[in-house]
Amino acid sequence: MNRRQLLQSTALGFGWLAFTDLLLATHGADTPPAAPDPLAPKPPHFPARAKRVIFLFMHGGPSQVDTFDYKPKLTQDDGKPLPFPKPRVVSSATGNLLRSPFSFRQYGQSGAWVSELFPHIGGCVDDLCFIKSMHGSNSRHGGALLELHTGSDTFVRPSMGSWITYGLGTENRDLPGFVTICPTLTHGGANNYSSAFLPAVYQATPLGNAATPASRVTIPFVKGTTPPSQQRLELDLLAELERERTTAADSVATSRLQSFEMAFRMQNAAPAVQDLSKETAETHKLYGIGEPVTDNFGRQCLMARRFAEAGVRFVQCTHSYKWDQHDNLKKDHTTNAREVDKPIAGLLTDLKRRGLLADTLVIWGGEFGRTPVAQGKDGRDHNPHGFTMFLAGGGVKAGYSHGATDEYGYYAVEKKVHIHDLHATILHLLGLDHTRLTFRHAGRDFRLTDVHGEVVHDLFA
Amino acid sequence: MVRTVLVPLALLATVGSATAVPPDAAAHFEKAVRPVLVEKCLSCHGPEKQKGGLRLDSRAALLAGGDRGSALVPGKPEESLLLHALAHDGELKMPPRNKLPAADIAAIRDWIRAGAPWPEAGSPTVAPRSGERSLTAEEKAFWAFQPVRKPAVPATPGRTAHPIDAFLAARLATEGLTPAPPADRRTLLRRITFDLIGLPPTPEEFDAFLKDTSPDAYEKVVDRLLASPHYGEKWGRRWLDVARYADSNGMDENLAYVNAWRYRDYVIRSFNADKPYDQFVREQIAGDLLPGGTDAERVERLTATGFLVIGPKMLAEDDPVKMRMDIIDEQLDTIGQTFLGLTLGCARCHDHKFDPITMQDYYGLAGIFYSTKTMRNYTVVAEWHERPIAPPEVLAAAEQNRLAISTAQSVATSVEKTVHTAVGGVGASALALQQRARIAALQKSQPVVEHVMAVEDGTGENLKVHLRGNHLTLGDVAPRRFPKILADTGPLPIGADRSGRRELAEWLTRPDHPLTARVMVNRVWAGHFGTGLVRSTDNFGKLGERPSHPELLDWLAAEFVANGWSLKRLHRLIVTSAAYRMSSRPDPAAVEIDPDNRLLAYFPRRRLDAEELRDGLLAVSGLLDRTAGGSLLKAKPRQYVTGTANSNYEGYQHLRRSVYLPVIRSAVYDVLHTFDFPDPSVPNGQRTTTTIPTQALFLLNGELVDQAATALAQAVLEQPAGDDSAHIRLAYRRVHGRDPTPAEQNKVLAYLKVAVATDATLPASERQLRAWRGLCRVLLASNEFVFVE
Repeated sequence: MNRRQLLQSTALGFGWLAFTDLLLATHGADTPPAAPDPLAPKPPHFPARAKRVIFLFMHGGPSQVDTFDYKPKLTQDDGKPLPFPKPRVVSSATGNLLRSPFSFRQYGQSGAWVSELFPHIGGCVDDLCFIKSMHGSNSRHGGALLELHTGSDTFVRPSMGSWITYGLGTENRDLPGFVTICPTLTHGGANNYSSAFLPAVYQATPLGNAATPASRVTIPFVKGTTPPSQQRLELDLLAELERERTTAADSVATSRLQSFEMAFRMQNAAPAVQDLSKETAETHKLYGIGEPVTDNFGRQCLMARRFAEAGVRFVQCTHSYKWDQHDNLKKDHTTNAREVDKPIAGLLTDLKRRGLLADTLVIWGGEFGRTPVAQGKDGRDHNPHGFTMFLAGGGVKAGYSHGATDEYGYYAVEKKVHIHDLHATILHLLGLDHTRLTFRHAGRDFRLTDVHGEVVHDLFA
Repeated sequence: MVRTVLVPLALLATVGSATAVPPDAAAHFEKAVRPVLVEKCLSCHGPEKQKGGLRLDSRAALLAGGDRGSALVPGKPEESLLLHALAHDGELKMPPRNKLPAADIAAIRDWIRAGAPWPEAGSPTVAPRSGERSLTAEEKAFWAFQPVRKPAVPATPGRTAHPIDAFLAARLATEGLTPAPPADRRTLLRRITFDLIGLPPTPEEFDAFLKDTSPDAYEKVVDRLLASPHYGEKWGRRWLDVARYADSNGMDENLAYVNAWRYRDYVIRSFNADKPYDQFVREQIAGDLLPGGTDAERVERLTATGFLVIGPKMLAEDDPVKMRMDIIDEQLDTIGQTFLGLTLGCARCHDHKFDPITMQDYYGLAGIFYSTKTMRNYTVVAEWHERPIAPPEVLAAAEQNRLAISTAQSVATSVEKTVHTAVGGVGASALALQQRARIAALQKSQPVVEHVMAVEDGTGENLKVHLRGNHLTLGDVAPRRFPKILADTGPLPIGADRSGRRELAEWLTRPDHPLTARVMVNRVWAGHFGTGLVRSTDNFGKLGERPSHPELLDWLAAEFVANGWSLKRLHRLIVTSAAYRMSSRPDPAAVEIDPDNRLLAYFPRRRLDAEELRDGLLAVSGLLDRTAGGSLLKAKPRQYVTGTANSNYEGYQHLRRSVYLPVIRSAVYDVLHTFDFPDPSVPNGQRTTTTIPTQALFLLNGELVDQAATALAQAVLEQPAGDDSAHIRLAYRRVHGRDPTPAEQNKVLAYLKVAVATDATLPASERQLRAWRGLCRVLLASNEFVFVE
């Protein structure tokens, strides 16, 4: 939304936009020494393939062998003991191999195998870049969530979205640069989107939380009870009174007053972006909005597209803690997949037809995968040793599958990609060198990838 | 450094024939082993890079090994780390991404079994690496490790200056700068009041100070404020920043710390009592081990060790050894930054890259905490340690009562069983009822035993150095001791009988410790001047900043120790300087020459911090509840305070001072969070000040601001002051401690006229309140309220 559109869209009109001008009027034409804007767009280290990120986070750990990592041998050896050792550290006791209760088939030109859980995503496989050899270091949700979001499974560190906003700034100053829709409050909660020791401007702005329906999420404090006409009077009075006391040379005081102007714009711009009623019925249908099962995640996905379109750098949608099937695998994975399948396919289709997919990196995945061996009769334990994520758009190879797990899908064995490598790769796609994106804190230069991470060039188109 | 030049294979084959290796073995090596090493390994373990400290380009290098020890045991493939790494059958998997084909691994196994012959003339010798590195002269000479020597106060010509001003004047003069004139009295009162108690002065306090013409009027205010119970609330909170205080664990399992508040109140009490800082430090490290005192004092000291327990922890970690070492690491990192201004945590995986802290130093300290019980267990979800604080007789009574209940319960259960059998009947039924009544009565009379988060000594043990920080690759034993750069005293003379915490506490608080006093006086200075003399308050190491006024820092540290580590005397010393009383309006020349104001040519203006803003809103609107102490946490012990299905923690609807609001890790109260409340998971000695639109949104739309503005408007309107002008004056006096200027008065009157007239359909009283609430909101949102000049 540009300035003109904003003026048209708001009842408050010109008065408040003139705030800064008014403030400066008494001091002649001198522009105040602008305090450096930490969110101003910054050039990347090298030409970027992607400009922004939409991260679709499946909290709980979707099972790779029941979704995208097809293992016929697992079906064949159902009920037999795993013929190689289980990891030294595990989360729960597990038994023998357990075949997937879901059938698989091939989709698209690329012939990617997708289980019956994701028929809609199946229709998009030629745009997807699967990483079948993901692995991480932690077998518990808390540690694994933190690792996926921040690179550390042990300490509070800045999240990926914060690093990216720190590295690139943001393109629309009427909106936050990093937005997380319906974030989880458990397993680290805000630590998963906090800026930790990076300046607070880089933390995510949460829209609601896992307990809030997507139709009702808002930016904190964006709505008040003061009627617009009264608020306008108050803001004008504030400007008038500050004019008496603030000199233009006082950049600290002036930039604080400018932040009221920005807040005012955000107060209008953010709800406008979130207003899905402006989308066509066809688009609503594409995302599954209006259907009880898909409505909530569909709204998250459509909001994500609208934020991305409006210039927000990093948008995360969380399908909350549902994917943790220690039991009821068949039933619950079916329900979970149904809630997200259509919305995700809708998002991919919509981004593509609007030309946004080319420079928007979409990331899909959970904090870990699940074991091919059974927990109970119909469940699987956590498995950080081998799992699947997929990327789309943003300069990644379409219709490609990278790496592999062993014949049962337990351990990543070929072209392994650690979470640190994924982070390095995401930064690279955005034009950032993960070894150069650093911040000095408590005596050393920190990175998203700590001392690790290798860019996986094979994934690039 | 020894460098091996890679020679083309064909050539090497001829070189190989010159050695004692049998030709077939040499051929096997050249055909099946060396090419694999060259192609797959040397890019990380060769002349260019030596990951893990390991090279694989000579037999000697393999034998010497890397951080994890020797890579090769000739003749014994099963004992050779190289082979295990290649086989991916242990923790270490090489190459990390793609396992070698089985044939290659078999070839290397055969080669090792054959004694690992390496046909090459003159293999370079590589010495195995072990032992602690020695410290360099340059490291030993670093400023922060030198003893504090009290410098002479610089002479000031013609007058006797406050010592602080004398030190500052010397530097200012060399830059050709002069200190700013004194601040006006209204500004000064607001400054000192916020700085010492975190609240604004009342209109009456403004009046009294402005009228007091006695020469020591200001000193009287300082003494009044230092004696106020609100002093501990303000400065205790600053300590809680560095102690990374919280009422919940955060991290993975966000469980309630229902007893953390006892540590918080201990801190506030200690500041209010002006407890000597050395004692305050000793109590937090080893309060449970200090002898003597009354029962109450023993409880107080036990409570202090909560400092060691309140950190964030991964409570659901499947590897219990990792969990234990991570918790110790968190403790050491906090202790290092809090008391020493050193980033000890950096030496967990390797010698500190910048400071002279070795892994032996780290694991020497880590052993002290390995020998301390911080946790009850390391299972999933793990439990932290708590200790009862009831007197022994109450504890005994509680135990006795518990036993009585359990006895009565088993009796009741067995009687109830017989009730349902033929032999039972009415009598048994009555007996059962009687027992149930007895149980209920016993439960009712169960003495309440309160607990504090606290540590306890376990068996004293030394740790081994964890190579690369990994507990699966252990190096030499690191006896418990203090960092060598600060105390070259060798291992502590302690065994299994104790942890060494007491020794650590005593060492930290030695009057001649080079860091403890410097770090703390710097924190207090930063609390008054916005910035420390050492700007990096938590890092006095090489990557930290150098002091702007090293002599002043040392003089203050020496004074502090000489004055019995009294914090209140230190405050008084600082705030009675002329520097502290300067105007915050800079001379343009000063801004030009010293843009960061490191030399203090003028007083640095600051924004209210998060708590001051909230408390200030409540105070000027008359809503503030000044009750001290106790817990406002709405949670049962170990209850999850945030989760997936439940919403944000909502225990903040209180009108108490912010220091008493629960601090929920990973879901910090959004009002405080918006105004740069620090992350309560890490020590933080320096708050940042950001200006973000969310702050403005809060002031425009926030419920709390609305509540305060409404209360203030009502309070103003209730006063029988007469006309609008008189009411405006009242509002200004409450918020700003002054009368409005005529220009301000006119602008406000013009606003009121329009605001009251809008929406004529609403009742007049409603329109009036809305207009005045709007005015109050504007005053509360103004720069004048939000900044301390």
